[in-house]
Amino acid sequence: MPNASIQSLFAAKGWEPLEFQKATWEAYLAGSSGLLHAPTGLGKTLAVYLGPLAENLEVGAGCQILWLTPLRALAADTLRALREPLATLAPGCEAEARTGDTPAALRARLRRKLPHTLVTTPESLSLMLTHADFSEKLANLRCVIVDEWHELLGTKRGVQTELCLARLRAWFPAVRIWGLSATLGNLTQARQALLGDAFEGSVEITADLGKSIVIDTLIPWEIDRFPWSGHIGTRLASQVADEIEKSNVTLLFTNTRSQTEIWFQELLAIRPRWKDQLAMHHGSLDRAERDRAEDGLRNGALKCVVATSSLDLGVDFSPVDQVIQIGSPKGIARLLQRAGRSGHQPGRVSRIVCVPTHAFELIEFAAARDAALACKIESRFPVERPLDLLVQHLITCAIGRPFEAGAMHREVRSTHAFSKLEEHEWEWALGHISNGGNALAAYPNYQKARLENACYTVDDKRLITRHRLSIGTISSDPAVSVRFANGHKLGTVEESFISRLKPGSLLVFAGRHLVLVRFRERIATVKPAPRKGRGNIAIWGGNKMPLSSELSHAISRRLQGEGAPSAEMAAVEPILDIQRRWSRVPDDQSLLIEHARSREGEHLFLYPFAGRLVHEGLAALLAFRISRSSGEAIHTTQNDYGLSLTSKRGLLLGEGRLRDYLTTDGLLDDLVACMNTAELARRQFREIARVSGLVMQAPPGQKDRSQRELQISATLLYEVLDRYDPENLLLIQSRREIMEKQLELTRLTAVMQRLQSLDYHLIETKNLSPMAFPLWADRLSATLPAGDAASRLEAMLNTLNQAAAQA
Amino acid sequence: MYPLPHAPFLRLLPEGACFQSDSATLIVADVHLGKSAAFRAKGLPVPEGDSARDLGRLLELAGKHQAHHLVIAGDLFHSSAGMTPELEAAIGDFIVRLGIPVTLVAGNHDLKIPNLPVALRSVPYLDLGHDFRVVHDPEHARGGGLHIAGHWHPVVKIPDGKRTSLRLPCFLLRQNTLVLPAFGSFTGGAVLDASPDDRVFVALREQVVELPPALVR
Repeated sequence: MPNASIQSLFAAKGWEPLEFQKATWEAYLAGSSGLLHAPTGLGKTLAVYLGPLAENLEVGAGCQILWLTPLRALAADTLRALREPLATLAPGCEAEARTGDTPAALRARLRRKLPHTLVTTPESLSLMLTHADFSEKLANLRCVIVDEWHELLGTKRGVQTELCLARLRAWFPAVRIWGLSATLGNLTQARQALLGDAFEGSVEITADLGKSIVIDTLIPWEIDRFPWSGHIGTRLASQVADEIEKSNVTLLFTNTRSQTEIWFQELLAIRPRWKDQLAMHHGSLDRAERDRAEDGLRNGALKCVVATSSLDLGVDFSPVDQVIQIGSPKGIARLLQRAGRSGHQPGRVSRIVCVPTHAFELIEFAAARDAALACKIESRFPVERPLDLLVQHLITCAIGRPFEAGAMHREVRSTHAFSKLEEHEWEWALGHISNGGNALAAYPNYQKARLENACYTVDDKRLITRHRLSIGTISSDPAVSVRFANGHKLGTVEESFISRLKPGSLLVFAGRHLVLVRFRERIATVKPAPRKGRGNIAIWGGNKMPLSSELSHAISRRLQGEGAPSAEMAAVEPILDIQRRWSRVPDDQSLLIEHARSREGEHLFLYPFAGRLVHEGLAALLAFRISRSSGEAIHTTQNDYGLSLTSKRGLLLGEGRLRDYLTTDGLLDDLVACMNTAELARRQFREIARVSGLVMQAPPGQKDRSQRELQISATLLYEVLDRYDPENLLLIQSRREIMEKQLELTRLTAVMQRLQSLDYHLIETKNLSPMAFPLWADRLSATLPAGDAASRLEAMLNTLNQAAAQA
Repeated sequence: MYPLPHAPFLRLLPEGACFQSDSATLIVADVHLGKSAAFRAKGLPVPEGDSARDLGRLLELAGKHQAHHLVIAGDLFHSSAGMTPELEAAIGDFIVRLGIPVTLVAGNHDLKIPNLPVALRSVPYLDLGHDFRVVHDPEHARGGGLHIAGHWHPVVKIPDGKRTSLRLPCFLLRQNTLVLPAFGSFTGGAVLDASPDDRVFVALREQVVELPPALVR
């Protein structure tokens, strides 16, 4: 009886198994697959691992349990957690990790023989599929566990996982698959995506042991009358420092990498004595810098780490006893995830302290607490039919073991992502990986996979090597490495940032004040600044995350006066009162539209509460449609609450006209016309071209001269495909992806449909209302310039000529 | 057409070529014919079309300016993997239809091709009179006269707006060497590391304009 050995393990440790753990063991031993949903720090590792472990304690039967983790940085921690019960229950059995970080010697050993339990990432698993003998090595595989499935869900890596799991299910139909997930709004769909056609008969187990989460807010001592985004940014820094002082170890989360750099400097300025106890962590720092911060958290040597979402996941930092969130949490799930980084043990309370950067964020915090209590958590929607990934996976499979088209078609369609794959898409993919196919007449002499005995196979050694190097879906933009003259690396910045600095300029990066010495060939050499000056804080592009629908809905309820009294609402009341007197408090049951005049002309402010991406699309659309009839140039701005239009004249519109402009008729055509979508799709194509193997990623560190003639930019490739193969499904995919990613098209359409049925409140305001002010103040920050290259260049030359004439 | 101040007979064309008017010589660089075929031969699915397109553009340009001589400043071809029978036939047809002599100043890519089409006169460099010399690699410029070269595929990057920039193929005049942009459609570019004395010219609609140093940085 396997349960007996588990009981003995728990007895030896003096633990009592929790209900959900017992339920998971039983479900596993009954032969089921499933999804376990539990907050972090609840013993979910033991819940999913002990079942398959105790089922068969025999040594030396090859790899029996596969553990997939989304982050290779988590692999080491996971190994530690798995080895403990393994040593007690099956002392002869080994657990090892195989990720991109695994040293070559261990990797070679794992090529020969796999351990009892193998911890790996989706990318490494894909890579192992290219080895012909991988299925034999897994002959005794009984269970695959996918950790942090919510992180993979909704990304192409999730689909990569689905495809790998389908391969394993095809080889070993009896294999059981278990996912671990944090709370999501769509857990059933998450389980469907994980299990594909093995969903039937699977189980969902919830471990909600009332792990209490406390969401507190740091209330500013004085509220500005007119807050604008980022205005009180670091104003609360000294209050924050007091909070940090009171706790042992604090994790301070910001929303962007630049904000991390700013807060780090600010805290250091307030408490210089924390110099050695303060660290920072974000995705652009060198691995060694990040390791220092992580180690410091683990052993409690640090007082505070300032971090971005790079520390949202996984790693168990037990000493952390306080989490601080700077600025809007953007979503409820994210706030809960971050809160869960403290009190990382069963039964302990997780506490997060929210710090507003402008007054309206106070409402967001109150609203987030409401939604968290009511369990109104965001969903993450699985990615469907990414063909770039399908062609990558097909080559991966063909390298490992020749496949027959019919069987592979069934296997691919057994995943959730490709269950609705159309016949023509499948035919296209087969053509793309082999000889071009019938439809691809523009590809003479092309050949990748060959048909041999009715099976697709790849045997060209160079093709295989190249493919192995390019497996995966993470494509990072080429970044500029920042280092000292002695070679010590600090991290990476974007070229667009560093190329605007001149040698001798001061910059702030990786928590240091630096001077740029030179910038050549993607390397920026720096040295420490002799004195502290106001350096340029490193900035990174990338999209700002929009407010989630769930959170904006909760905010709207707060604005309507619902919900229990709270300190946040009391603090923000003076500002809401001005809003009420000068205009009206907006909500999502009606559409508030304010019209105002200033020296610049007319302004129109709309508050649909739909997140900044939707507002950006809506603003561009309205500007395009209005200026089409008025002929006036219109400037737009947007934030998470609303959008503004500014023009010399022509914005005093009646309700009827506004409704006409907000129609969904001709939506797609107008968006394509106004949003520079061609340019955006071209950029999106870079990722698709890499994933599908159209362009090669140069292997890190080495420049293979023989491969040089095959280097090509994705932009150029996009143009060639657009000219000679415009129906190419990868082009169509990039246009579709950009519409969703940049514009949230689905949400935009839904919002516009909702606006149709709402009452409009058109209000003429004498002064800019508190909600309008931030939108107005933001008007100088330009977005993507419109127009083709020629008109942009002409505009710049004209500006220069005018300046010269005036001089 | 943009006349260079100290080379009165030389004009820069917005199509990315230059034209010596007194001898009616049309000069282009870096066409890289057969590049997409070379990609396909290595298992990368890139559609065919640009080689034919570029030969068509060259024919049209030579006709428009009534050129008497076409000079390629190197890298007419991409690689031997791209030298398909179709391309060789297309080249033969092109030379017949062009009806003027074609001189290839062999570039590093051309040198790797065993059998260049016989109708092409291949030379290491070419003197054009007025002290002009066509070479492939700008590093091979010697002496005081004006050199016309290719090889670098120069591109200028001009920041505009907060985080965006324009990337335009350009002519680069550095000391006494004029570097032509790559003529081929399926060729990448290298953003130039401009020195203070460089002069940079780009095509703007139907003309060529010199960029003010403020834009080149």
